[in-house]
Amino acid sequence: MNPKRCAACRYLRRRCPKDCVFSPYFPPNNPEKFACVHRIYGAGNVSKMLQQLPVQTRAEAVESLCFEATCRIEDPVYGCVGMISLLQTQIQKTKNLLARTQAEITVAQIKHSQNQHSEFM
Amino acid sequence: MGGPGSSSPCASCKLLRRRCAKDCIFAPYFPPDDPHKFAIVHKVFGASNVSKMLQELPVHQRADAVNSLVFEANARVRDPVYGCVGAISYLQNQVSQLQMQLAVAQAEILCIQMQHEQPLQSHHQVLELDQDEKALLLNNNSINNCNNDNNNLGYAMSSGQFNSNFASPSSIMQMQMQMQDPLKQESLWT
Repeated sequence: MNPKRCAACRYLRRRCPKDCVFSPYFPPNNPEKFACVHRIYGAGNVSKMLQQLPVQTRAEAVESLCFEATCRIEDPVYGCVGMISLLQTQIQKTKNLLARTQAEITVAQIKHSQNQHSEFM
Repeated sequence: MGGPGSSSPCASCKLLRRRCAKDCIFAPYFPPDDPHKFAIVHKVFGASNVSKMLQELPVHQRADAVNSLVFEANARVRDPVYGCVGAISYLQNQVSQLQMQLAVAQAEILCIQMQHEQPLQSHHQVLELDQDEKALLLNNNSINNCNNDNNNLGYAMSSGQFNSNFASPSSIMQMQMQMQDPLKQESLWT
């Protein structure tokens, strides 16, 4: 067996051709990365997705697929969508708090200027 | 499929051109009147992977799982490079911006409170943050950029606003634990 097979071809127990679509992104020293992606998407789907992308965008695509696959393994019901939901909730809460704080600033500024005005009188 | 009186096959069995069994795992979640829903999930994840995922879940969680898979699949088709991760990155940036704005506002409140506690000081010693100081802290970001989050999710996904140095899912999961009451909102699916 060729020791220089990429992690994908090692996992799939096949020869790793020179133009293997996986090999630039799944080095043999990180077998978990491919295992995770294969478990959620399947090697065939990942291969199709990568082939449909320009070469310069494939590395980012692989990283995002790995991220989503890891999220899905850790949270089989919501995956990374749970994270989106939490972030949206946090944004709304922070906006509400910011609006409240800015209203307090306005009230405090009005009171302050009223106090200043009454001291001058 | 079959004779009179039998219900029509679910969207998945229609697409896969097979008999829709009574206990078909897909049937409750992929009705025949919405073929696109299964088509997109099948395109990204594959029917057998979806089936495996659903089989590993208790029945009461499968509907939510299907909805989240459909959401992710749609995101991936819309943005083949970043998928949902583009949206996550965009929202994380929004959270950071808002927290900065909140910190500035809270600092301003403190300044005003300090002014009230020292009423005999010269009236010229205004401790409020002026526009230049605010701009320096905020880097010209304003809350107006944070409106219409849901509409901008689509833009973020297609424009590829993505920080490739994003945190690992585990560390982001820790962030979830720090948030109050993780909420799986039904509105997410609308």
